[in-house]
Amino acid sequence: MQVETIRPAGGRPTHIRHDDLISAKGVSVVMGTDRNRQLILRDIDLAVPQGSFVSLIGPSGCGKSTLLKVLAGLVNPSSGSVSVAGVSPGEAARKRMIGLVFQDANLLPWKNAVDNASMLLGIADKSMSRSALRARGQEMLDLVGLGDAAHKRPNELSGGMRQRVAIARALALDPAVLLMDEPFGALDAITRDSMGQSLLEIWQRTGKTIVFVTHSIDEAIQLSRQVHVLGIKPGRITQSLDIPLPYPRDASVTEVPEFVRLVLQLRTMLRSSHQPGGAT
Amino acid sequence: MNLSSPQPVSGWDAATSSWLPAAILLLVTIVLWEAAVRIFSISSFIVPAPSEIAKSLVAQWGTLMQATVVTAGEILFGFLVSVIVGIALALVIVRFDWLGRALYPLVVLFQNVPKVALAPIFILWFGYGLAPKIGLILVIAFFPVTLSMLAGMQSVDRSLLSLMNSVGASPTQILFRIRVPHSLPSLMAGTKIAATLSVIGAIVGEFAGASDGLGYVIQFASTQLDTALVFAALLMVSVLGIAFYYAAEILERVVVPWAPKFSQA
Repeated sequence: MQVETIRPAGGRPTHIRHDDLISAKGVSVVMGTDRNRQLILRDIDLAVPQGSFVSLIGPSGCGKSTLLKVLAGLVNPSSGSVSVAGVSPGEAARKRMIGLVFQDANLLPWKNAVDNASMLLGIADKSMSRSALRARGQEMLDLVGLGDAAHKRPNELSGGMRQRVAIARALALDPAVLLMDEPFGALDAITRDSMGQSLLEIWQRTGKTIVFVTHSIDEAIQLSRQVHVLGIKPGRITQSLDIPLPYPRDASVTEVPEFVRLVLQLRTMLRSSHQPGGAT
Repeated sequence: MNLSSPQPVSGWDAATSSWLPAAILLLVTIVLWEAAVRIFSISSFIVPAPSEIAKSLVAQWGTLMQATVVTAGEILFGFLVSVIVGIALALVIVRFDWLGRALYPLVVLFQNVPKVALAPIFILWFGYGLAPKIGLILVIAFFPVTLSMLAGMQSVDRSLLSLMNSVGASPTQILFRIRVPHSLPSLMAGTKIAATLSVIGAIVGEFAGASDGLGYVIQFASTQLDTALVFAALLMVSVLGIAFYYAAEILERVVVPWAPKFSQA
């Protein structure tokens, strides 16, 4: 892996484990003007192992989306250091190591599914021909199970299908990590379940590292290997929970007693995270 | 048709059922108008009967058509110039931030000038030909184009911009790949408004000083107390207005077939 060769000079290599794809150390984010400064995130330490599926869960306003943006290089931390595959998030993004999926699919309504899927890749890699982009887009649509909808425009697709295209668009970059901000938050419960299953299949087939922001306890436990609970005021990681349920997991995992135990445990953690302040 | 079994309404049926009430009302209005003029024997200098207008339309057909062609040319030319200038201005305002901050307030300020009042000045500067009409249409019609395109370009979702930034898209790429296409539905709505305003601009321009065109015919006929001809020319102006509006609407369907309908006239 590249991690060993491209280590940032100013980083703290002793803290970076070789198998951690993402590593955040003491990250704080302060936003707002001088008068109205707000501490959004305080002293976040986060390590995401290569190939892992990690969820961030917490109440509204805990800064979980901001944390994801920090990892994506869209927000610069006020203090602390972040590295993605050994480089800064911004550089990782430019090297197409980061794929982003938001709650809103944000497809371009004037492009069909296959062109939407290859849109970001086309901007990131200007040397690719139109037909190569199409082929890549089609390949990704096949991967997310939308192979036959390639020529449909977004207004002809359902909410779940649009989100599949958004995932295909992120995967087309062949990123090392997928950062997903409540990607299924706007979908109905049934679609949500099947999207979760598809995401797990894609994860296992591609071996991507996934950081998944959610506010659904069930979703977090069903999908991830590890869940980090964020508390509010300021946003910080209060507790972490390993999910030892074996993969592959299907929908029946929710009926296992272990699942129910984990739900209760996570719920208790979330409740205590609602108390503002608190020691980290 | 059998009422108990609902059938899908065909395009023609839907069209007639949506047009029919308006057509009936129009017909009733014309009949009442004709009747009122005859019953109260209103002088045709004041209000000509529809039949008088029709007669004038037929008698002066050659003059009217010639004037219509002239006015239509002014409208089309002025409209195109307005759309081009309007789009260019919006692009400059969005792409060059400092220039935008300088230009935008002035554009809005200029919007408060009663532009119809500029007509005499334009005649003074540009003479009696095509130029003052184009100038007047431009100052009247560019604004909705600029404004609607700006609104469309600035309403791009922030997370879409985040996506673009994350792969290192340049401002120019974001402008032409995202903002401009995203603004098209809104721009087309503004273009339809500009089409209507262009008709007004052309007529006002001709009122202020012209030797040809429908505005000139209206003014000339009214000095001759030929009110029927005034109305006949008005009819032609209205037909022009409707034609340009629907041309813009067809353009909209061609340019943005993917867009949800913004407005229904």
